[in-house]
Amino acid sequence: MNINRAALKENMTGYLFIAPQFILFLLFLVYPIFEGARLSLYKINYQKETFVGFDNYIKLFSDPVFVKSTINTIIFVVFIVALTVLFGIFVASAVFDKNAKYVSFIRGSYYIPVMVSMVVMSMIWGFLLNPANGLIPFVTREMGLPAVNFLGNKDLVLPVIIFVTFATNVGQAIILYIAAMIGVPKDLFEAAEIDGASRMQVIRQILIPSVKPMTVYITIINIIAVLKIFVVIQLLTGGGPNNASTTLMYFLYNNAFKYNQLGIASAVGVIMFTITLLLSIPQLRSVLKND
Amino acid sequence: MFKGRLFRKLLLLALASIVLVGCSDKDKDKGSKGSEKGADGKVQLTLWLTPQWEGVLDATENGASYDSFFKHAAERFSEEYDKHDVEIKVEVVASDQRDELLNVNLNGGTPPDIFYESVFAMGEYAHRGALVPLDDIVDDEAKSDIGETYWDNVTFGDEVYFYPFSHMPGTLTYNADMFKAAGLEDYIGEENEIKTWTLEEYETILNTLKKDLPKDEYPGAYPMALYALNNQGDTWNLAYLRMFGNEFFDEDGNIVLDDANGAKAANWLKKIYDEGLTNPGAESVSSNDTIAMFQNQQLGINFTNSVLFNNMKADMESGKSPKFDARLANIPSESGKPLTFTYVTGAAVFDTGDETKIQVSKDFVKFFSSDPELVKSSKNGVPVRSSVVEQYTDENPLFAAYDENAQYVFSFTGNVPGYNQLRQVLYPELQALYTGQKTAEEIVKDYQEKGNDIIKESKEDSVIFQ
Repeated sequence: MNINRAALKENMTGYLFIAPQFILFLLFLVYPIFEGARLSLYKINYQKETFVGFDNYIKLFSDPVFVKSTINTIIFVVFIVALTVLFGIFVASAVFDKNAKYVSFIRGSYYIPVMVSMVVMSMIWGFLLNPANGLIPFVTREMGLPAVNFLGNKDLVLPVIIFVTFATNVGQAIILYIAAMIGVPKDLFEAAEIDGASRMQVIRQILIPSVKPMTVYITIINIIAVLKIFVVIQLLTGGGPNNASTTLMYFLYNNAFKYNQLGIASAVGVIMFTITLLLSIPQLRSVLKND
Repeated sequence: MFKGRLFRKLLLLALASIVLVGCSDKDKDKGSKGSEKGADGKVQLTLWLTPQWEGVLDATENGASYDSFFKHAAERFSEEYDKHDVEIKVEVVASDQRDELLNVNLNGGTPPDIFYESVFAMGEYAHRGALVPLDDIVDDEAKSDIGETYWDNVTFGDEVYFYPFSHMPGTLTYNADMFKAAGLEDYIGEENEIKTWTLEEYETILNTLKKDLPKDEYPGAYPMALYALNNQGDTWNLAYLRMFGNEFFDEDGNIVLDDANGAKAANWLKKIYDEGLTNPGAESVSSNDTIAMFQNQQLGINFTNSVLFNNMKADMESGKSPKFDARLANIPSESGKPLTFTYVTGAAVFDTGDETKIQVSKDFVKFFSSDPELVKSSKNGVPVRSSVVEQYTDENPLFAAYDENAQYVFSFTGNVPGYNQLRQVLYPELQALYTGQKTAEEIVKDYQEKGNDIIKESKEDSVIFQ
């Protein structure tokens, strides 16, 4: 006990330093998680909360829009993350060993969309794709081509959103991959050159394995980011046509703020939190293993 | 060992914080609280409104904006009110963000004190118990000056929740210049007439506009507006679904769209869409898009209401949009009896739990809704007060046309609870129709099923029905 007290006294300064962040963490992250879980078991209206057990969850799983939202979210996660990782590796491996100015130019070019607000990007794409008065449909009409409604066709709307999100986010992956590739020891490349390895072999046998931790990191942060995809849906398609592009986050937003179904929205939040937590475990384990 | 203890201590601290925070705001009861006055003893009120009319009296004033009237009324009220020192903050919120903003603020315990909006969009909040009844500020003078139809519109259960100010009849508007260019002179009504066409005539108009409208004069123009991106402007979509005689609601307030007439109407919408008689991509076009397109002369016929129509004319006068001859028409129906509806607009007072603020809010609502000078601004829509209508009939001959049209008005909400959520399930069905995912028969069936589930659940939660 005395040892503990002495140790506590000794480390008090450290604890005080982390206290502000820790308290904020508890208030704004830990507490909402518990409160969200509690609310998911209630039916809430303006005047009262009624305990309904797992009714909200049962309702969710029998709601076709929720099922559609879950499937769409999985599609977005798989395709956007895969495209981001593949294209990131492709661009980074092509330029990382080139002239420093050229690398900076490429890095800057791909990073600009990341800096532009997703709201602005979505609005610009909206102006381009609006079927009645957008630029792209206008040009296709003028050229006598058949009119295609990119935002209103249930088979095209997902690829369009995947492309828009991927194009906006890929810059970050490129920056991270270039940084990781520049950090790969030069002697590995020299040895490969002496052994007569081709560029493809260097990329496959040296570069990709060397940047594996970065790939894990990029995959995890992108999965978490794409799970929360919302702005582009809200501004570009409104979840349509007929819920073809709705996602879990958009479904949660609609229930919480449009339909005022806070219990249902909280249940969606709990499900999303669980998925994110499960996906984060590998990353957490790899970090702990390194320690 | 030490690490384990430290972890336990941190966990204990975490749980203690959660309990403390959790205990802080558990009381959801809206009991009487003390007045939340500003530091200087002022009663501070917040008034929200969605865009209605611009200017105090009309849109031609210098610097006219959507909040001009309420800022002016607030200024006068602050000067003339003797019970408290009052400061009123006026905020304009986007119509399509109204429910999100209100839900967030209601759940966060920070609703506005007053909201000025169309009653149909706000009735939901009366059902939820978020509004206070206004019966105590309605006097005999108001009851005799404002017609009974309008009082019925703002009464939920036995109590009045909105103080009617003006109303906005919903019709179609058409570009008479385009009609002339397409050789449709015979179908153009008088300048101050709300023209009624038969369904057959309407189809002739759409087909002629498509075929004969000079492409060089009106490039990229379409005959009629059709939209289903979101819930905005959905009242016209609801009207189209009644075109073949469907009553929409039964006597118990349940949706009865799933019959031969409902399916016929949905089929008609799909038919005109497929034949290119409307703008393309209706499933991803919003009502705001079609307003802009009509103003840019890319549409021959669009939806409108009295305020939108006045704002459009004001934009033409001020040079904000191209000038052309825009006139009004009714929504046609198979029976020949046209369809029209009206939005009664007025102010509601939220139950903020602060008796003083609620009382001052009521006094302010009564002030701007009954002051002889201020009620003149209701001429921007159509006044609900007979005294104001009489004053402005000569200046605005359309008032007489709207009055004559009142015989065709139908109640589009059916005064059912859960109306806001009903709106959210309509447009996905229309999107499914336009994209061919569902047939007309399927969408009327599915909408009826989903809609009636919403109505049933909302009735159970409604304080009015309890």
